[in-house]
Amino acid sequence: MASNPDAAISLPVVTSTATGSRPAEELAAQRTCACAASTLEEEVVAMFEQLRNPLLRYLLSFRIAAPDAEEIVQEVFLSLFQHLRRGKSRANLQGWLFKVAHNLALKNRMKAQRQSPAAAEAQTDSAPDPEEQAADLQRRNRLLAVVQALPELDRWCLSLRAEGLRYREIAEVLGISLGAVANSIEKSLSRLSRADECRRSHAQ
Amino acid sequence: MRSDHLTDRDIILLVDGELGSGAHEAREHEAKKHLEACRSCRSRMAEIEGTVADFVHYYRDSLDAQLTPPAGPRALLRAQLENHAASKTHGWLFADHRVSIAASLMVACLAAFAVYERGTSRRTGDLSIPKNSLTPGETRNVTIDDVCRGTQEDTVPVSLRRQVFREYGINDMRPNAYEVDYLITPELGGSSSIRNLWPQPYSAVWNAHVKDELEDRLHGLVCAGQVDLATAQREISRDWIGAYKKYFHTDKPF
Repeated sequence: MASNPDAAISLPVVTSTATGSRPAEELAAQRTCACAASTLEEEVVAMFEQLRNPLLRYLLSFRIAAPDAEEIVQEVFLSLFQHLRRGKSRANLQGWLFKVAHNLALKNRMKAQRQSPAAAEAQTDSAPDPEEQAADLQRRNRLLAVVQALPELDRWCLSLRAEGLRYREIAEVLGISLGAVANSIEKSLSRLSRADECRRSHAQ
Repeated sequence: MRSDHLTDRDIILLVDGELGSGAHEAREHEAKKHLEACRSCRSRMAEIEGTVADFVHYYRDSLDAQLTPPAGPRALLRAQLENHAASKTHGWLFADHRVSIAASLMVACLAAFAVYERGTSRRTGDLSIPKNSLTPGETRNVTIDDVCRGTQEDTVPVSLRRQVFREYGINDMRPNAYEVDYLITPELGGSSSIRNLWPQPYSAVWNAHVKDELEDRLHGLVCAGQVDLATAQREISRDWIGAYKKYFHTDKPF
């Protein structure tokens, strides 16, 4: 698909919902910041400013070590630079960035498992929290434990949703259908909600 | 939930702003109307909203603790981009800055050559598909790890570009007319041999930009484990237009 390398980056607008749960403040800024960029390099840096943290969080949710995640993010944005320099499609660049990050995360994990299966496995065991007795921490840990117990694909969907991606963008990143995304998120959020219901009923 | 109430699925989709997507605007309208009249559903929606909002907060909070300040990584990215941009400025004509004088002479020669050749250009037929005898496609030894590491296409050296044009009998070497393209992209393990290169026209319906889209698509599918690397290489080399139709479910390029 032909595209104009000089055109401003256009990103999808994600509206804030009643929950305030989407990172609307980050996403709302996406349409404006990149527009002012004067060169391709500046455009890429502008996008880095906006999406570095969401991408890092997504990579960290794979239990990739922070320095490795940071390296992957660098690689993602260098790939973006190459992508734009070659005049490739600018449609949904946010989804494109998450897709590249997702692929690199999978590759990083495969490599880690090959090098040290035991170490890779050990990464999944988080250290016990010393303040676990506090009620809100208990709730936090319970909800996060529910997420950890989800199948991998459901965790990815939920993490991407937590980073503010729309369902169609998630479908594109993971290469699954829109219906599969909706089913996955509904199933996961229902589980979270049920876990919270248990808390509420115990509290009463 | 009872059938006369909203289901949890409807509420979740409504909370996510996804209930009215596509052809389901009426569904969203109905759900909102129901909510106005139904205290039970409003209460359920508030519960779900609370859980979702808290989960997102906990999720981000648990990971934000590992984030470092952006200044260092930003500076590193800028430096790397500058390097890439510098290599771009000199472009496909020469990769090594140390040979800039020789390369300047080469630019002059090429410019003169292009002016000369433009006057004698001739039609060469539709080159949306390469000639199999000249460009059957060729791969190098790569693993799926290598492929998914994000290999970028190397620019094709001028001498090789000229050789490709010569093989295909093309005198019109204007850069806007053709992309000397890899039949099997390096991103899928394609080699830089001349047997993997052909002059792909920009002006055709099935042009170089369309093929770029297919390359991205196949690369993603291969790295997601949905298409075997050998299959992707075979399909793109035998009939890339057919592969595009197959993987984009369309008879025409988007």
